[in-house]
Amino acid sequence: MSQILFSTWQGELIDNRNKPKEEWAETGFKLPLEYDSDTPSRAFIGWDGVAIFDENIDAVKLATEYAAQYQIYSEACGRCAPGRWGGRILFDLLDKIARGEGSFDDIEHLSEVSKTMMNTSKCEIGRTVPKPILDLMEHYKEQFDKCILEQTKSHHYDNDNKYIAKITAPCMDMCPTHVDIPAYIEGVRDMEFTSSLAATRQTMPLAHTCGRVCPHPCEDACRRTNLDEPISIMELKRLGADYETDHHLEWFHPTEPKPPRNDGKKVAIIGAGPAGLTAAYYLGLEGIQVDIFEELPVLGGEVAVGVPQYRMPIEKYNKDIELVTSLPSVTVYTNHRVDAQRLKEIDAEYDATLLAFGTRLSKQVRAKNEREEIKGYWGAISMLDKVNLWHKYRIGSPASEDLKDKTVVCVGGGFTSMDVVRCSIREGAKKVIMLYRRDEKTIIRNTTYEEYHEAVEEGVEFIFHSAVEEIIDENDVLKKLKVNKFELVPDPNGGRPQLVKIEGGDFEIECDFLIPAVSQSADLQLLPEDWNIELTSWNTLLTNGRDYMTSRPGLFAAGDCEYGPMTIVNAVGQAKRAASVISRYIYDGKVSLTDDEIMEDHLAKLKVYNKNEKITGWMPGIPREVSEKLSVDERKTNNLEVNLGFTGEEAIAEAERCMRCYYIAMVAV
Amino acid sequence: MSEVKRKQTKEITVTIDGKSITTEYGKTILEVARENDIYIPTMCYLTKVEPIASCRMCVVDVEGVDGMILSCQEKAVDGAVINTNTKELEAERQNIMKLYDVNHPLECGVCDKSGECDLQNKTLEFNVSQQNFTAKDMYRPVQNWGFISYDPSLCIMCEKCVRVCNEIVGSEQLQVSTGGYKSTIINTKPENNCISCGECMAVCPVGALVSSDFKYTSNAWELNKIPSSCALCSAGCQMYYEVKPESIDNPTEKIFRVTNEYEFTSMCGAGRFGFDYANTTAFKDRAKFERAVEAFKKADTITFSSSITNEEALMLTHIAKAIDAKLSCPEAYGFSKFLKAYSSVSGKSLWGGDLATLAKSDAIISLATRVKDDAPMVKNHIAMAVKREKAQVVYMHPIEDSHIQNLVTKFVKYEAGSEEGVVALLLELLTRDKELPTELKSFIDELDIGNLSGESSISEEELDEIVATFWKKRRFSLIVGEDIYNHPEVENIAKMLAAIEKYTNYNVVVTPPASNSLGVALICDLEPEATGYTVGYNCEADFNLSSLGDGDLDMPALNQQEGSIVTINKQLVPLNVALGYDGYILNDIANELGVGRKYTIDFTSELPKDKGFKGIEFDSLANNFSKYGEDIRGYKLEVINVESKIELNDVEDLPSFDGIVVYNVDSAQNPNPFTQKSKLTKTEPKLLGSKQFAMAAKVKDGDLVEFELNGKKVRRVFSIDTSLKGTIALNPTSDMGLSAFAVSSYRFSQININKVGGANE
Repeated sequence: MSQILFSTWQGELIDNRNKPKEEWAETGFKLPLEYDSDTPSRAFIGWDGVAIFDENIDAVKLATEYAAQYQIYSEACGRCAPGRWGGRILFDLLDKIARGEGSFDDIEHLSEVSKTMMNTSKCEIGRTVPKPILDLMEHYKEQFDKCILEQTKSHHYDNDNKYIAKITAPCMDMCPTHVDIPAYIEGVRDMEFTSSLAATRQTMPLAHTCGRVCPHPCEDACRRTNLDEPISIMELKRLGADYETDHHLEWFHPTEPKPPRNDGKKVAIIGAGPAGLTAAYYLGLEGIQVDIFEELPVLGGEVAVGVPQYRMPIEKYNKDIELVTSLPSVTVYTNHRVDAQRLKEIDAEYDATLLAFGTRLSKQVRAKNEREEIKGYWGAISMLDKVNLWHKYRIGSPASEDLKDKTVVCVGGGFTSMDVVRCSIREGAKKVIMLYRRDEKTIIRNTTYEEYHEAVEEGVEFIFHSAVEEIIDENDVLKKLKVNKFELVPDPNGGRPQLVKIEGGDFEIECDFLIPAVSQSADLQLLPEDWNIELTSWNTLLTNGRDYMTSRPGLFAAGDCEYGPMTIVNAVGQAKRAASVISRYIYDGKVSLTDDEIMEDHLAKLKVYNKNEKITGWMPGIPREVSEKLSVDERKTNNLEVNLGFTGEEAIAEAERCMRCYYIAMVAV
Repeated sequence: MSEVKRKQTKEITVTIDGKSITTEYGKTILEVARENDIYIPTMCYLTKVEPIASCRMCVVDVEGVDGMILSCQEKAVDGAVINTNTKELEAERQNIMKLYDVNHPLECGVCDKSGECDLQNKTLEFNVSQQNFTAKDMYRPVQNWGFISYDPSLCIMCEKCVRVCNEIVGSEQLQVSTGGYKSTIINTKPENNCISCGECMAVCPVGALVSSDFKYTSNAWELNKIPSSCALCSAGCQMYYEVKPESIDNPTEKIFRVTNEYEFTSMCGAGRFGFDYANTTAFKDRAKFERAVEAFKKADTITFSSSITNEEALMLTHIAKAIDAKLSCPEAYGFSKFLKAYSSVSGKSLWGGDLATLAKSDAIISLATRVKDDAPMVKNHIAMAVKREKAQVVYMHPIEDSHIQNLVTKFVKYEAGSEEGVVALLLELLTRDKELPTELKSFIDELDIGNLSGESSISEEELDEIVATFWKKRRFSLIVGEDIYNHPEVENIAKMLAAIEKYTNYNVVVTPPASNSLGVALICDLEPEATGYTVGYNCEADFNLSSLGDGDLDMPALNQQEGSIVTINKQLVPLNVALGYDGYILNDIANELGVGRKYTIDFTSELPKDKGFKGIEFDSLANNFSKYGEDIRGYKLEVINVESKIELNDVEDLPSFDGIVVYNVDSAQNPNPFTQKSKLTKTEPKLLGSKQFAMAAKVKDGDLVEFELNGKKVRRVFSIDTSLKGTIALNPTSDMGLSAFAVSSYRFSQININKVGGANE
C-alpha cells in the first residue's frame, strides 16, 4: 500500500487533493511512484486509468502527450478506421486546447470521438486510450476550462518534460521475454507468415522451439479466458517459422543485421543453449563480436540433448540455431569445455562474459543406498543425452540396447521426467513406471495436460503419493526399490495439505533401471574459487534479476544457471535482457537499462492482466482450436513429432479469436 | 468464463432482425446475414478473402453480449439473437463515416472512382454532409507502380489491396506501413518486380488505386459494361469490357478498361490490361470473301488455333464435312491426344479436379509447367491453398522459378525431356500401398525405378521427401502442365496420370494450353498434320483467315464475338460482343457452304451432348455469381463415362538434352499474339537466360542471337535474367503471330546459338 495524490486506476478512485497528508487514502496497486532510483515519477497513465503523484501536474499536457504517444508508439495503430483517424483527432483537439486555442465544442467532439473509439476500435489500445483522457477531463476539468476560457497555454505546455511510453498486453507482460504476441497472431490471421515471424523474433529467436515446447505462461494471462477459453498462443508461433523453413526463404530478422563492428570489443558466452543462443543473436544483430564456447559436440544445450525428438524435432531446432550462427559476428566453438582456469583466460580476454551453461547435474532422489556405482541407476540428464545424441546426431549408440524389454522406474514430476518415461517407451522398455510424491493434479500443473495425457496413452504407469525409500541391489546391480506410500492430510487450520506416510503402505518394485529426474543443479566447477562469486540459496549464480550481472563486474549469467532449472522462454527472456545490458556495458563500463526495459519491469510489477475484468465487444463461446496429434499407435514406437500443428483453417480460426489486447502505458517524469 | 461447447452442433439456429435462420456452424454473422438478404454495411469486407476487419462498420448487437460485435469476423453461435440495426449502431456507423471523410480530398469531379465509389456511397447513405472533426493534413505524394497508380491521400486504409496481393495472388508485395494517421500502403518491390496483375486496383473501394492508363479518361457512369469471359487463356475468368465512344469526334466504340466481379473472383494482368486486341479495321470486302470461299472449297485441310469459340469449332466440323476436308489444330492436337488417352484409363471424359478443389488442397504437385507464366490463375489458386490451407507445394520442373519461392515448399528438378520417366516415378510413388488391378500392378513392378531416377535425375531420396512433405495431408491436387501435350510419349504419360487419379486420392487439374483447347478437343476430330492445300483460321496456311488483322480475310477477335469457350474448370462460359465488327465472320462462310445458321450462337445448343455439352441456348446461359459467391456462369460439362482399360507401354530410355536448351514460354502479362497486339501488354521479345547459360552459349547480355527452332530461324536479343539458373533459356513466342510451330512442338529444344550482333553494336 502506498500513498498517492490521485488515482482512477482500475476503478479505484483516490482523490487526496486538498487533504492533509495524514488523511490520504492509499492504493493497493504497485504503481510506479519512482521511475528509477534517481527519478521520481510525476504521473502514470494507462489503459485502466490515471494516477497523479505530483501536485503540480499539467493534466492537459499529460492527456495530450498520451494521445500523441498512442500515435507515435503504437506499431499496431493505423489498421482500423476509429483508431487511425480517431487517435489523430484526439491528439489534434487536445493539443489545440493545450496551446490555448480550444473551445468547448472541441471538448464535445473529444467525447464523441472517444466514444466511437471505445466502442468500435480493432485493438484494445484504441478502445482504452480515451479512458484516462476522459478521466482527466472529468477530474481535472478546471485545467481544461482554464485553457479554453483564458485561451492560454497549459502551464507546462512549453516545458520539455519527459514522457516515457510503452506498449504492452497481458500476454506480452506475462511472457518472460515479452514476445509481441498480438502481432505474431495478427500475422497468422492476415496469412502474412513472414511478418508474424519477424514479430516473434523481435524478442524471441527460437520461434520453432517456443512454438512447440514452451509451457506458455502467456496463456494464463490471456484476456480471452475472461470470455471463454485462452488463445492457443504457443502453437500459433510455429506458423511463421514453419513457413520460412518449408519454403526455404531467407532469414527474416526483426531488423537488418548490422555488419560486424570490428572495433575490438568482444563478448564470450559459455554454453550454446537457449540462453547462450539468444544473447548471441541479439548481440550479433548489433554487429558485436560474440564467441560461444560449448562443451558438447553439438549446439542447442538441453533442448538439443534433453528434449526428445518427438516433442522438438532437431531439424526444426537446427533452423533456430542456424538463424543465430548465420550472423557474421557470431562464432561457435564446440567440444570446448570451460573450467576455472579457462574462464579466467576468457574473462581476461573478453570485454564481457555471459555464463549460460544451464543446470546439467541430476539431483539425487535421496533414498538409502543411492550410489552411482549401482548398475541400473542412471541420471536423467545422462539418459536423455544418450537417447538424443543417438537419434538426432547418430553419436554414441542406441539407448534401446540398454532399455529394450526392461522395467524402468523414473522418479520425478516435471518435464524432464516426462521425457524420460516417454523416451523409455520408445526405446522398447517392457514396463515404465513414474513415481511421484504428489497427485495427478499437481503433475499436470507442473507440466501440461497434454504431456501427462499422452504419456498415459503411451502406457506409462503413474504411481502417485509415493517415494523411494531404499534402493536394493545385488552385487551393484539394481534389483528392486522399496517404496513408501503417502497420503494427503488436510490441514485442520486450512493450510496446505501435508503428505503423511501411510504406515504399512510400503511396497516393492522389481526393476532394471531407476532414473532420478527430480531436478537438476548447476555444475559450478568453472567458477574460480578466488572470485568468490555470490550464489543463491539454490546454488545458482546470483544477480539482481534485472541486469543479470553477477557479483563480478563484467561477468553476467542468464538461464538455468542463474534461475535454476526453469523454462526455455525464461532463459530466452533473461538472455535477451543480459545481451542488451552487455551491449552498453562493453562500451561504457556501466550497468544500465533502457527506458523500455525499465517500463517493462514497472508493468510486470503492476501486472497487466486483470482476471476479473469484464470483456465487451466480443462474441463469447467460440471454442479454442485443438491441433491434431499422432495416435498412440502411430507414435509410440518412433520419434515422429507428436503434435502435427494447426491446419491452415484451424490456425486462422484461432488467430481470429485474439482480441489484440494492446495497451499503452506512460510515465511522466 | 462462459460455457464453451466443445463439439458445436453442425446445424445452428440464429435470429437476425427477428428472422429465425437455420445454418451451419463456422459461418460469420455477416455471411449468414447476407445469405439471407439482410443488409449490414461494410467498407473493408471482401467476400473472396478472410475477414480484414479494419473498417468496423459491420458492428451488430447480440442480445446478452456486452458491447458491439464485429459481424464480419465473429462466428454465429447457436441461439444468438442478433440485431443489425439499432440507433446506437447507426450512430457509430455514422461516426466511422465521419472519420473516413476527415480530409478526404474533395476531388470527386475528376476522380476515376466517382460514381462507383464506396466512400461516396456510404457518405451519402449515412448522411454525412459536413466535416465536424478535424485533423492536420499531411503531404502524401502519388506513387507509380507500373500499370497502377497509388494516391495515398485518397486511400482509406481498408487493406483490401494488401490482402488480395498476399492471399489471392501470393506475391506479398503490398504491405501496410503502420503509424496511426501516417499509415499507408507500401509496395515492397515496386514497378519492375510487381507483376501488375491489377488485383489490388480491382478491389480498391475508392480512387486510391487506379490504372495509370485509364486515369482521367472517363467517368464511370459513361461506360457501358459488357459482361463476358476473358478469352486469353483457359481460365476463362469472368470480366466486363467497359466501352464508350472514343471521343466526341470519333463515335467508334473503344474498350476503356476491363473490370470484374472482384467481390467473388479474380483475374490476371493479361486479362485486365491486354484487352486491346480487337480487329477494328475490317470491313466487308466481297472480293476477299469470295476468294476465301473458293479457298475453302478446294481445301484439303482446315487448320486453326484453339483461340476460337465452341460454336466456331462446331461450324468448322460442319464445313470440313461439307467440303470433305480434314481438321487440324496444332495447338490442341497434342492436348486432344492427351485427353483421349487419359479417358481411356480413367473411364471419364474429363479430369477430376478444378481450381476450386485446388485452392482447398493442402498438398499440391505442380508438374511440367512454369505455372506462374503458363497459368497465372492456377498459380493464384496455389497461393490461396498455401495461405489458407498451409499447403505443401512440390514444384516439379527442369527450371526453378524463384519468383514463387514463397509458394513452393519443395522444388524437384528433372531433366528436360524426361517427363515420361518422371510420371512413371510419380505413379509408383503415389500408388504405394494402394490396391491396384493386376495389369497396372505388374506394369509398375516392372518399372526400373533406379534407372528412371537416374535418367530423370530425381533421386529416390527426393521421392521419399515428397512422401514426407505430404505426411498427414488430406486433400491432394496434381497440376498437369503444358509441357506434356507435345511430348512424343504424351499418350503413355496421360495414361499413367489417369491411373494416379483413378487409384489414389489426387484431384488432377489439367491445364489446357490455350483459351478453348478443351472445347476444340471435345468438339473436333483432329488430324495430326495439315496436308495438301490448307485454309487457316488464326493459323499459318495457304489461305489465312485472321482475327489479328494480318491474313487474307479478316475475322473478329474473341472480344468481338458471341459464343462460348470451355475452361480449365470444365465449365462452358459465354463470350459477348464488346466491340462491333464490320467484316465477314465464319458463319457467313458456313452459310455460303450451306452449313451455316442464322446466327453463330444458334450452334450453342447443338454442341455435342455425348461430349458433355448440355444443349442449352446461348441466351439462356447464366453469366453471374450466386449470392454465396459461387461461379454459376454457363454450365459445368457433364462427365461422361467411357470405356476404361489399362494398356500402358513400357517406359523406354528417356530422351536426353545435352548442351544448351531453350524453353518456349511467354510471360504471364503477355501470353499470346493477342496480348502482344495490345498497347499495354506488348513487350519486346527477348531470350532470357542465366549467367551460366550465357557462359555455355558464349553470348553476352544485349547480344543479338539467332537459333533454329524446328527448322525455323529465330532472332532474339539475349538478356541475362539473374533469377534464372542453369543452361535452359526462356524463349517467348507471343510475337510469332500465326506461326504454328511454336505451339505444336515440345517446349524444350536443344539448340545451337549464333551471335549475329553484339551488345552496343
